[in-house]
Amino acid sequence: MSRFVDLAKNPLLISSVAILALLILGELVSPGFARGDQIVRLLTVSAILGIAAAGQNLVILGGREGIDLSIGAVISLGAVIAGNVMNGSDAAIPLAFAAACFAGFMIGTVNGLGVTYLRIPPLVMTLGMMGVIQGGLVVLSRGVPSGNAAPALMAFVNRSAFLGIPGILFVWAAIVVLMALMLKRTRFGWSIYAIGSNENAAILTGLPARRIRVLLYGLAGLFGGFTGVCVIGYTGNSFISVGDQYVLPSVIAVVIGGTSLAGGAGSYTGTALGAIALILLQSVLTTLNLEFWGRQVIFGGTLLLLMLLYGRQARLRV
Amino acid sequence: MQPILRACDISKSFGAVHALDKARLTVERGEIHALLGANGCGKSTLCKIIAGTVGLDAGEVLIDGQLAALGSPHLAEEQGVALFYQELSLVPQLSLGENIFLGREPRDRLGFTDRAAIQRQTEALIDRVAAVAGKGFTPDARVFDLSPDQRQLAEILKVLARKPKIIIFDEATATLDRRQVEVFFDILRVLKAEGVSSIFISHRMDEVFAIADRITVMRNGETVAEFAAAETDRYAVVYAMVGETGAIAASVRDHKPLEGDARLAVKDVRAARLGPVSFTAQRGEILGLGGLQGQGQKALLAGLFGAEPFQGGSVSLDGVDVTARRPADAMARRIAYVSGDRGRDSALPGRSILENTAIASLVRERRHVVPGAVFRERFTEVLAGLNTRYAGLDAPIGSLSGGNQQKVFISRWLSPAPGLLLLDDPTKGIDLGAKGDFYLLARKLADEGATVIIYSSEDSELLSLCDRVLVLNGGAITADLVGDRLTPFELTRASYGDAA
Repeated sequence: MSRFVDLAKNPLLISSVAILALLILGELVSPGFARGDQIVRLLTVSAILGIAAAGQNLVILGGREGIDLSIGAVISLGAVIAGNVMNGSDAAIPLAFAAACFAGFMIGTVNGLGVTYLRIPPLVMTLGMMGVIQGGLVVLSRGVPSGNAAPALMAFVNRSAFLGIPGILFVWAAIVVLMALMLKRTRFGWSIYAIGSNENAAILTGLPARRIRVLLYGLAGLFGGFTGVCVIGYTGNSFISVGDQYVLPSVIAVVIGGTSLAGGAGSYTGTALGAIALILLQSVLTTLNLEFWGRQVIFGGTLLLLMLLYGRQARLRV
Repeated sequence: MQPILRACDISKSFGAVHALDKARLTVERGEIHALLGANGCGKSTLCKIIAGTVGLDAGEVLIDGQLAALGSPHLAEEQGVALFYQELSLVPQLSLGENIFLGREPRDRLGFTDRAAIQRQTEALIDRVAAVAGKGFTPDARVFDLSPDQRQLAEILKVLARKPKIIIFDEATATLDRRQVEVFFDILRVLKAEGVSSIFISHRMDEVFAIADRITVMRNGETVAEFAAAETDRYAVVYAMVGETGAIAASVRDHKPLEGDARLAVKDVRAARLGPVSFTAQRGEILGLGGLQGQGQKALLAGLFGAEPFQGGSVSLDGVDVTARRPADAMARRIAYVSGDRGRDSALPGRSILENTAIASLVRERRHVVPGAVFRERFTEVLAGLNTRYAGLDAPIGSLSGGNQQKVFISRWLSPAPGLLLLDDPTKGIDLGAKGDFYLLARKLADEGATVIIYSSEDSELLSLCDRVLVLNGGAITADLVGDRLTPFELTRASYGDAA
């Protein structure tokens, strides 16, 4: 009995069931919803959200109310940087990735330093950083879209690389595997869980908790920059608020995937499934042709239902 | 005349622990009454019951001859009992008067704060302690601008504003220097002259004999003696605290002669409210840190491990400087630390037993990749060696009992075995079986050449386990007890700052 309850509370299982249910519902409402090429398209959109959510996942796992609200602005920044670096040239794609990831990493590191050494609450620190980046982008670009994606980058995101599957999905799959290995099999991964679970105890086992936390915010920025390049590959050109739409979904995907907002428990595999479930839910709601308010109510209600299913996951007392 | 307070046959259990067993306390009007006893004798619990912060299981408390209902601090206060908090509870930005009446402001007819009344009543309170108040101690003064002595006084006025008949001072002098203690005593004398009674708990025997009129001694939850201070001496009081068997030396095991030069040398280490302290320890020695709670024992252990680095002094182990700035420094020198506060200092809740035990090995061995199979084999063996009961290495740490959790946390440090093992009240709240396993382990590690330093809040634990005990009082070492001198009597006497 208790085994059944444990299983029913497993976020991976709940997310998977939700994904299946949404696919069936979509197919019933609109035949063709679950066709192969449609699923690939949905997965591509999920991949972009999922990569952004990887960064979010790391800072949330690290605890101390970890969150990165600047991730949307960093995505925009990454897209603008990549657009200007490439300006349509395939040869500049590696440089575009490098420049966007570097900028994201530096911004994330500043977030991390503010959170750990100046003790600014993450919510405030990253919200402030969001404003600074958005303002900076307006000044830099003078508010006009500039730069555009190289053809090979657009093909990477939108066209088949192998068996009808675009390159970005292979990259995402690799990120899922690497994140899982990192979290489960490396000292860095164990350290993240340890500082998220009980920072004081982690310090007393010799872990440099503050340096680790700074690095987590740096990595969140790096993932944001990377996502920015993918976004411009998806849309073709960049505008300075292109990343804003990812802020809340990146947090929600992490939560649906079973990562505790208190930190110290969860997995990126869950987050990836959460990103897919979230994108599917949005598509189904769009397909249903509901009024905007109806979509919002169902969207919010579904999230609350999921949270209810996870219940008060027994945070075991010690 | 009736005594102002009479507590009769008070009993109180926390779970299976009998904290108080028919304890008694009688306090006369206008007297300063000292309450003494070794760690865990129940004196704090008795005070908390009288102050209404802890309920009682049996017995009764009479205040001024009336049966008192002490369900809450508020009720106790209404009946004239006030507890003095040693933690500063003042708001620096507010004035003295505002602080004293914070939350209990007198109201005028319209329901607004009656500032004139605050001014008037604060002045009346200040008049009572005018002799020690010093300059600038006025109702309007910002607490911000007051000297530390005056802030202490402000705390006392806050208590006095409630018009208590009895004030309980639990370790009120612990943070004060010698001169501040004198000021504090002057205040106690003023209160005494006004007919207010004080119950005084202190960790310094000097203070007790300097100020107390009468002394009640507790042991194991019972009241064992009552003295008039002028008619007794320190010896009799300490004797009452430890009982008849107190003079018997503890070393019942084969006491191993400790040979060779000291391998651990601690020199002039300092921290907030600690030291400077110097001592040495041998290979194979179990060294206890004794004394009443909060005398710097924990700060000493945390400093040796680098968790709260010392502010000065040096530590060397086997001739190598091991003064730690952070835990990783200490770990690199095979120094290990196990805290008794598992929830705060040890547990990674929600994580597996394997993670909870192997995390320190990853750091110590500078491994970046987790060698899963190696760790599984190694820690299965280590945990088995400690008689740990657990379902599997992947079960969450929270599924274990307290004692088994503590075994997991100590298993962090056993491969390789530590050279210096620091134990901070490690058996707090764990079952007897696990305690026994713990003692065996400490003994085994010492026999294999480790130096073990243990602080315990239970004197009996130190007496039965340690080769030698350093007693701390107010951040200084007051005694170094070994061999025939390692007795409950000497330990208790030194705990109260009374050197032999």
